[in-house]
Amino acid sequence: MTSPRLGYPDLGFGLGLRTVHFDYILENEPRVDWFEIISENFMDSRGRPRHILDQIAAKYPVVMHGVSLSIGSTDPLDPDYLKKLKTLSDEVGAQWVSDHLCWTGVASLNSHDLLPMPLTEQSLRHVAERVDQVQDVMERPFVFENPSTYAGFTSSTMSEWEFLDRLTEKTGCGLLLDVNNVYVSSFNHDYEPEDYLDAIPGDRVVQIHLAGHTDCGTHIIDTHDQPVIDRVWELYRRTIERIGPVSTLLEWDASIPAFPELHAEVLKAKAILAQGDDADEARQELEHLTSSQRPVGADTERASTSNPHPLHHAAALVE
Amino acid sequence: MNLSAPEASGISDLERVQRWMLSVIAHPDGINEGADATEARRWIDAGAGQLESVVTRSRQLSASERLAVYGNAYYARLLDCLGEVYPVLMRTLGEETFQGFAFSFLQSHPSKSYTLNELGREFPGFLRATRPEDEGGAEWADFVIDLADLEWAIYDVFDGPGLEGAPPMTLPDFSAIPQDEWLSLKFRVAPCVRLLKFSWPVNAHYTAVRASDGELNLAFPERAPSSLALSRRDYIVRRYPLSEAQYGLLHQFSEGQSLGDALEFLLEEGTISPESLGSELPRWFHDWASERCLFRSVES
Repeated sequence: MTSPRLGYPDLGFGLGLRTVHFDYILENEPRVDWFEIISENFMDSRGRPRHILDQIAAKYPVVMHGVSLSIGSTDPLDPDYLKKLKTLSDEVGAQWVSDHLCWTGVASLNSHDLLPMPLTEQSLRHVAERVDQVQDVMERPFVFENPSTYAGFTSSTMSEWEFLDRLTEKTGCGLLLDVNNVYVSSFNHDYEPEDYLDAIPGDRVVQIHLAGHTDCGTHIIDTHDQPVIDRVWELYRRTIERIGPVSTLLEWDASIPAFPELHAEVLKAKAILAQGDDADEARQELEHLTSSQRPVGADTERASTSNPHPLHHAAALVE
Repeated sequence: MNLSAPEASGISDLERVQRWMLSVIAHPDGINEGADATEARRWIDAGAGQLESVVTRSRQLSASERLAVYGNAYYARLLDCLGEVYPVLMRTLGEETFQGFAFSFLQSHPSKSYTLNELGREFPGFLRATRPEDEGGAEWADFVIDLADLEWAIYDVFDGPGLEGAPPMTLPDFSAIPQDEWLSLKFRVAPCVRLLKFSWPVNAHYTAVRASDGELNLAFPERAPSSLALSRRDYIVRRYPLSEAQYGLLHQFSEGQSLGDALEFLLEEGTISPESLGSELPRWFHDWASERCLFRSVES
């Protein structure tokens, strides 16, 4: 019998750590429960990003979330990448490490996108073998997220939720359930999001992601550039009612708002779930943040685009 | 799904689909052209007319339209990344022209790394290799190449190794060196230092572009050689314009030469005059030590 959530703790309500908020966080030490970092933005850093991360990791729990493991690719796993992932995880004391059920490239090429898997028995065997290899290197259960997808394959023989259920069963890995991605993919693939959420093995869900998206009418793109929509909040509440409290994180990657606005957005989750005195406290915290002045210098990062997550931020500081 | 592609035997269905999909979404002319291209047909022999034998349609989108979400994102993401690495070059050229160069670059230099931080490394080399030969264009191209070299070096120094955790030599360290030992000493340049030589005054141009808001209205600069040291202090990249003599001396140090051998070489070369040595050398060392980042250590 496996421990619920693989023994990983409920960290509360966290935020994705983004470059534009580095100075605000260090200066203000906001009361955020935890931060999630994009692994690839720090694993090779020997400059300011790593310097800032070390300071934040000394004060907050940190979780690592990658975009380049490419667990579904038919290229061999990259041992150099895995070694760096393990080293960073050890050095910052990551609570757990996650990536996506996807492939990012093949034949040594990298699209830097989270590309969809044909959901077949062959794919399941292939991914499960590689998850075992990754967990051997990391020496602990790895956590996989359901990606937003925009295309499916005629060769698929199972749903994504069945694939993930069987993958966790075969390998003992955990799940990062992105509720927004479930909504986005359900729209793009014409199914009901409740069917997905009700079938996910709740005790394997280590973490939940929430984010905003862009509705293009005929399809939805996972842009992480705006607030979470009401329908996704409803799905989130439904999920927590079914599986119980779980570490919840808000992602925001383009048109990033000032930190207090971002913080207020994830506290909506706390307010939704809180009851009694906790609910009053959560509401007060949220009201305080939403009424506070927008701090100077914490400006939005860029104009909104319709590029799917993951995005890349790399501006150097130069005098 | 059509299994008859000639090169598809001996590899798994999964690999075949992945090789096919990547070649389709990364095709520069679009999804249908990608599916019809020889590369995609090596893996799955389904042209644009048969995409739905591989990829399902949704209620609202065809297979081609669904793949186009990935195809559009492929170039948008990579162009966006190159624009972040080369912001001044993009403003100088204008977004459309810059993206034209970048789009061509991505055809010949697709990403092979797990990190997007490496994507722009070969861009200056690509510009150099595709430089136009005609006289007027070549002038303009050389300026663009110099600017690209500068921006990549800045990007590289920003997140590369530095000396923030291990303070380099300071003024008191230099003062403590006995007079008779100076010429035999080897000064090691800090790992975050880049010594750059340009045919154009690109550092001044870089400063001017960053200082200007809105639409860029700068005159094309006059060709003039310039030298620059990049370094990093407190995790911020610093730019230090160098004279030819200063560049020469630091370059000699970076090649492992002692101060005595470096000066002898530069005097013979005529880069440094004997008259200027006495007055200028102490000032240079003072300035470089003040920055606390140009030197890591000395060894005899």
